[in-house]
Amino acid sequence: MSNASTHVTPKPGASLQTILVVEDEILVRLAIADYLRECGYKVHEAVNAQEALAMLQSPQVAIDIVFSDVQMPGDMDGFGLARWVRANKPGVQVILTSGVERSADIAASLCEAGPLLMKPYPPQDVIDRIRQLSAKSHRS
Amino acid sequence: MSAATITPFPRQAPPTILVVEDEVLMRSLISDELRARGFKVIEASSADDAIAVLETMRVDLLFVDIHLPGPRSGLDVAQLVQARSLPTRILLTSGKDWIADLPALADLIPFVRKPYLVSRVIELVTRSLNWPTAPEA
Repeated sequence: MSNASTHVTPKPGASLQTILVVEDEILVRLAIADYLRECGYKVHEAVNAQEALAMLQSPQVAIDIVFSDVQMPGDMDGFGLARWVRANKPGVQVILTSGVERSADIAASLCEAGPLLMKPYPPQDVIDRIRQLSAKSHRS
Repeated sequence: MSAATITPFPRQAPPTILVVEDEVLMRSLISDELRARGFKVIEASSADDAIAVLETMRVDLLFVDIHLPGPRSGLDVAQLVQARSLPTRILLTSGKDWIADLPALADLIPFVRKPYLVSRVIELVTRSLNWPTAPEA
């Protein structure tokens, strides 16, 4: 998965964002979390929206971006999580991913980074979305 | 000193630790502390997920809470490791007293009771894996 040409190499003293990966399929979560860590991001993991909320509400954990699957077991899906983040953590940005075609309008209204990232996604696409968010937040 | 006198040794890959804990903040805390010490850490919240990982990749040490949600427990995961003779060391944890129920197992597998000091877990893991403690990231 590692590729020197696609790595985001942090400058000395600089730190990349902290990302919360929310994904119930462990092998999928493991793969993307590992890739993001190799690229220099700090990564926290949650297996569902309930765990994600616990992390987001913890004063010990600072999260910049939530990267969440839409379909997850439990009372809240990725859309619900994105709405909660919008309402309660306006400084936290959201990227949603799904293996199911969804209305682009729903996703676009919830994700600053644009439409859903469809599974299976190349890991570099996640990096590109994160960079988009970073560029957008620096401009605003 | 010339290049011919230098003998490069292959870089040793860090051990892989599978942390199985359903309380997300605790799982995240101990996983981060282990990563800061140079270990590769995989996180799982259930016995089923832990078994999926064990069946997919090599895990050097399993750090598992005995009491997990779902039909299978942390002990089931530990017993699977032993039954399949996997090259995986085991460290159990629990906030409840389980030793009375399985005294035979208590002598065989290291155990740390919750609430535990992170430093205690690091010490047990490092000693079990005979891995030098890396400087904190």
